[in-house]
Amino acid sequence: MVSRYEALLLTIPEITADEAKTIESHLDKVIKGATGSIISFEKWGKYRLSYPVRRNDYGNYFLVRFEAETSLLNEIKSIFAVKFHEMVMRNMIIQLDMNQSLVYQKPQSLEDAPVRDVNTFLKENKMEGLMGAAEGVDAEDFDEDED
Amino acid sequence: MTKKVKLKISARLVKKRSRRYGFAASRHCRFCGNEAQMAFMDYKNIQFLRGFLTERGKILPSRISGNCCKHQRELSQQIKRARVMALLPYTAFQY
Repeated sequence: MVSRYEALLLTIPEITADEAKTIESHLDKVIKGATGSIISFEKWGKYRLSYPVRRNDYGNYFLVRFEAETSLLNEIKSIFAVKFHEMVMRNMIIQLDMNQSLVYQKPQSLEDAPVRDVNTFLKENKMEGLMGAAEGVDAEDFDEDED
Repeated sequence: MTKKVKLKISARLVKKRSRRYGFAASRHCRFCGNEAQMAFMDYKNIQFLRGFLTERGKILPSRISGNCCKHQRELSQQIKRARVMALLPYTAFQY
């Protein structure tokens, strides 16, 4: 019996696109073996984690939605937990209702967050010359506490 | 042995009791019968879930958040899922 699942994967932050492709292709092979299909494989991007996982402060999230036979569930779990153990730190597989909408709210990733850089701030607010004016001032000028 | 006489409840005591339970009377669950809010209840939707955590990262009790028993259970299940996936903290003093 085919049912719909979604799996959220937390991987190491240094994962490459090739490694993500191997995970996807492996999952595809297993699911296509019996009747089934991958609905979507989305990369969320790099995030700062709420607590360090395997001594990583950051991690990449992937959301996979697929329809598969219920008997394949154990095998799919072992793909994430055993086969790709070095890359995938956490996984959570949830069963979805067939009629349920596929819309969801994604948390804001580090890449989506606005860049908080001094140079971009100055450029946006047209204050480019301002930092240059302070270059002539030395820290020594303010040290007047010596007695 | 004098029998203990049950005194009439004074007006002061009545007011004291009603003060204790009075404010909970008009609360209703924001999820009951509200499909739009129910769609937000997802472990991935951490912006929404964060509103139900205290500053220390603890789940708010239903007498404060106003949720009914059924939705409080579903909500805490989603929060616990998000905690496992490191989307929400277990306690707030991680760093």
